[in-house]
Amino acid sequence: METSTSITIHVPRELRVECDGARELSLSASSVRAALAELERLHPTLYRNICDETGAVRRHLNLFVNSAHVRERQGLETVLVSGDTLFILPAVSGG
Amino acid sequence: MAERVVVTIGTKKGLFVAEGSKTRGKFALRGPFGNGVPVYSSLIDTRGTPKLYGSSCNPWFGMKVLVSKDLGKTFKETKSAPAFPKEDGRALANIWSIEPGLGKKDLFCGVEPASLFHSSNGGDSWELVSGISNHDHAKKWQPGNGGLCMHTIYRDGNRIHLGISTGGHYLSEDGGATFQAANNGVGAGFSPDPYPEFGQCVHKIAGHKDAPGRLYMQNHGGWSEWTGPGGSRPDIGVLRSDDHGHTWRSIAKGLPTDFGFPIVVHPHDPDVVYVMPLEPTTRTCPGGSPAVWRSENGGDSWRKLAKGLPKKESFFTVQRDGMDVDHLKSPALYFGTTTGQLWIGRDGGEEWDCLFDSLPPIHCVKVAVV
Repeated sequence: METSTSITIHVPRELRVECDGARELSLSASSVRAALAELERLHPTLYRNICDETGAVRRHLNLFVNSAHVRERQGLETVLVSGDTLFILPAVSGG
Repeated sequence: MAERVVVTIGTKKGLFVAEGSKTRGKFALRGPFGNGVPVYSSLIDTRGTPKLYGSSCNPWFGMKVLVSKDLGKTFKETKSAPAFPKEDGRALANIWSIEPGLGKKDLFCGVEPASLFHSSNGGDSWELVSGISNHDHAKKWQPGNGGLCMHTIYRDGNRIHLGISTGGHYLSEDGGATFQAANNGVGAGFSPDPYPEFGQCVHKIAGHKDAPGRLYMQNHGGWSEWTGPGGSRPDIGVLRSDDHGHTWRSIAKGLPTDFGFPIVVHPHDPDVVYVMPLEPTTRTCPGGSPAVWRSENGGDSWRKLAKGLPKKESFFTVQRDGMDVDHLKSPALYFGTTTGQLWIGRDGGEEWDCLFDSLPPIHCVKVAVV
């Protein structure tokens, strides 16, 4: 029996204006890719700040599932389980 | 309200707006707008109620177009920014130019990777201009130091001239439906063929409404001592066309170097043209002594304009969109430097003053009287 996977997305301060100021969003998704697809559907302007028009995560953003960077797991195919938090964090870069 | 002189200054840390009276004595500065994000292009759109545009090129969250309808007191994002179709496979990396189109709300936007977008509603939605963006040559263009950028859009009625680095000069004579490479006489110092069909590193193109068909180009010069394939290519850096860009000839004789980025035409005299020569290797002021050079005869001869500018120890760069001229009866030039100074050259550049000396590195300067 398929069950929904309820996860939390942590929105960085700079992007909260794109989702009515929300610090966190709750949605159902079984993978990081599915979570981004849900973001595209529910919050398209927020999504465009996270992914470019090819669907790639922008170069200076990092995605973590709980404390693990997705590149250390299975990238966008990383499986999510209920209770996970997907952190979207801008890289520390610039000058 | 009395006319005001408005200067937009795109910097590494956002967009600034300077405003002064027509005497151009003092300017008030506002900004930065765009939250510390680089701005590579701006536009003061004087069609109807003036609007100020800036490209906010956010390395974290992508490209935005900012617009102000109150002369730069406040800015907000347009409803969308240019974006390639999802199936295209390209992703927008930078916005290098914003220019007015034919209709009152029409805009063009040149981007990296080199492509052209058009908006018919003041920037709220954008569509790819396929005639150049999917041109047969496009996959052969190579990025220059600034990336593969479409930095110049110069419209002359139904003709549209584009400058691409490094793609060269492309011309449409049918309103943008189709484009042809038009680089006859435009040299390239970095290829075995000194005059290829396309692939030149054009830096800027300028024209004048009172001289139809005449164009000036600052090309990537500095190849007089080149010893590679094809041999030396002196004087290919500053060029002129008198046939709508179909052919070009050098007008670089008399300049200290033919390398530079901006090229600007006097608002009331198409024979008067300004360049800012730079050392080709360092891309800074020759001998540490900056100067704008002016020709009053369409490029046949040049005169140095440096009164008020530092005489030594100045090693800044003025980037391709870093110089502009206002349209007052006795126009003033303005240039911004990579060391964060905004200079004004009153009386057509005869005498220079520094308006602001500690801004972030400046990418672009535009001025209008509104």
